[in-house]
Amino acid sequence: MIARGLLFVWIAVWMVLGFVWAPVVPVLGDTTRVLYFHIPAAWVTVLALAWSMIQSVLYLAKRRMEHDDHAAAAAELGILFCIVATISGSLWAKAMWGSYWNWDPRETSIFFLLLIYAAYLALRSAVDGEERRARLSAIYSAAAFVAVPFLMFIVPRIYDSLHPSPILPSPREKGSMDPRIRTVFLAMLVGFTALFWWLLSLRTRFARVERRRLDAAAAGA
Amino acid sequence: MSAALAGAVLCSLTLEAAGLAHRYGRRRGLDPLSFRVASPGVVALTGPNGSGKSTLLRIVAGLLRPTTGSLSVAFGGESVSAAARRLRVGFASPELAFYDELSAEENLTFAAEARGLPDPGAAAGAALERVGLAARARDLVPELSSGMQQRLRLAFALLGAPPLLLLDEPGSHLDEEGCATVARVVDEQAEAGLVILATNDERETKLGTQRIELRRRGLGDPA
Amino acid sequence: MARSASSSAAAVWAILRKECRSEWRTRYGLNAALLFAITSLAGVSFAVGPLGDRTDILSGMLWVVLLFAALASLSHAFVREIEGHTLTLLRLVATPTAIGLGKLLFNLIFLAVIEAVTVPLFLLLMGGPPPKWGRFALVLILGSVALAAACTLVSAIIAQTRGRGALFAGASLPLLLPVLAAAVKGTRAQWQGGTVGAEASILIAYAAAVFGVSLLLYDHLWED
Repeated sequence: MIARGLLFVWIAVWMVLGFVWAPVVPVLGDTTRVLYFHIPAAWVTVLALAWSMIQSVLYLAKRRMEHDDHAAAAAELGILFCIVATISGSLWAKAMWGSYWNWDPRETSIFFLLLIYAAYLALRSAVDGEERRARLSAIYSAAAFVAVPFLMFIVPRIYDSLHPSPILPSPREKGSMDPRIRTVFLAMLVGFTALFWWLLSLRTRFARVERRRLDAAAAGA
Repeated sequence: MSAALAGAVLCSLTLEAAGLAHRYGRRRGLDPLSFRVASPGVVALTGPNGSGKSTLLRIVAGLLRPTTGSLSVAFGGESVSAAARRLRVGFASPELAFYDELSAEENLTFAAEARGLPDPGAAAGAALERVGLAARARDLVPELSSGMQQRLRLAFALLGAPPLLLLDEPGSHLDEEGCATVARVVDEQAEAGLVILATNDERETKLGTQRIELRRRGLGDPA
Repeated sequence: MARSASSSAAAVWAILRKECRSEWRTRYGLNAALLFAITSLAGVSFAVGPLGDRTDILSGMLWVVLLFAALASLSHAFVREIEGHTLTLLRLVATPTAIGLGKLLFNLIFLAVIEAVTVPLFLLLMGGPPPKWGRFALVLILGSVALAAACTLVSAIIAQTRGRGALFAGASLPLLLPVLAAAVKGTRAQWQGGTVGAEASILIAYAAAVFGVSLLLYDHLWED
């Protein structure tokens, strides 16, 4: 209870500080603020996907439903953070370079992650039977795992030769200029990660309770 | 026929189940069951509809992974995993379907080839002979009557003279002659191998020397 | 008594021959796939017109058409088993890995047949300069192998779900994008006079990775 409150306060406070306390990065101007939630959201997207895939492999090895709960919950949360990252990134692109979508390497990568999440969740919704759903989606997750390094690093570079890469400072600079920017950024990174873990624990706890309820109902019948 | 069978079945067979059970989602498929059977012989598996006879046969065949409990199967003292069992048992059940675009003979030859049997064509021919289907070997599966298709399932189970025969309601759709064939085949197998026969038919139940009876709710007891 | 490698090879070979024979006897899969490939090619050609020497767009369009062809045809092998209820039979005679391999080889042949018709037709309809045949063929073959490896695995998963057609396309796409990217770039490179070494390596690496992972995953696919 207290931890939850603290988490919200943490994020809120640092968000406000990001606007009133930390300076702007000269090149980015007022859009600097987007660093504080766009990049953390993208980071959580990747974290969630990695967690989901690890849990999928664990499910195939151990066959315990808790692993499937985690894989599914991480995917559901991951796609939310991915949408946040994509939209915020797109708005930032519009503000910085005048167009909503450029297929530059970063945009391309995040879009691919969105596709993987969507496919995984669509697959889950199309399978009947708890065990079969867990098994088939875990297999798909393990297969998609192979594609991720290619999608994140190789594919986005393919189009460098076609389109000129936009002249922009790398978003990963993290405002290395000013320690205040770096502080807010790291604080938000921590905040978003904590938010993800908290939501994940809620979601998996709910899944566990739901399963126990259904088991009890079936046993009583 | 028995000589060929004995030649192929050099080893003894034991099956041991402990707390074996299966759920389909939340529905009960098979209530916890423990038993121990060994070759040679015929085990009749009886019980009302829905008690889990087919489920048990699929588990023994290695087609289904049970939700709880364990089953250990040993051929000649050596433990055989589910994946290996699938390829070595003879299995026939009502939902076993064949390739409609292939003939009876082609289906069996394919099965024999895939299983790595020496001389697959001959193995297929021999199996068809044993069930009295040799005359219809070249016919496509949809051209066979339901009784003939049931014989084809039996022939598939007999391919390569496996040491363990799992028959789920083998007499369904069969006429008098067909049922006699089943009885004959079971007797031949029982000389050196093991048959587990799931059935509600009195005539088939009598073929069994041992019996496992499944009840709807509760444990199955080896009799 | 462990199953020896040679009997697994026998199973793969038996399955491949069975697939070819079944497909030859019914042919509806091949007919539908060919029809789809040709109509999508015709549609693209009609919409875009002859492209002259726009080799960048040409390479992209070629692989889009091949992608459509693959998505329309490569799920057939497993869906047919499910619809015919013959999976039990198949599982009783071959290991899951042998089944996967047999189906993959069949899909490769199937795709090759479709491409043998579609690719020449594409080059004819869309115009464009004559390709450097060696490099063109290399990229085409490697790209097709990678497509088939990914699609076979995904179709094995999807065949057991509801709503197979659209789901197959959606679920395959993330796994096919690396192939698409490398193959398009390679095809473009050979038209523009460059080398295709880098793209060929990516395609080989990806096909090997997908194939390797498949070998581990097929065992888990059919457990009930």
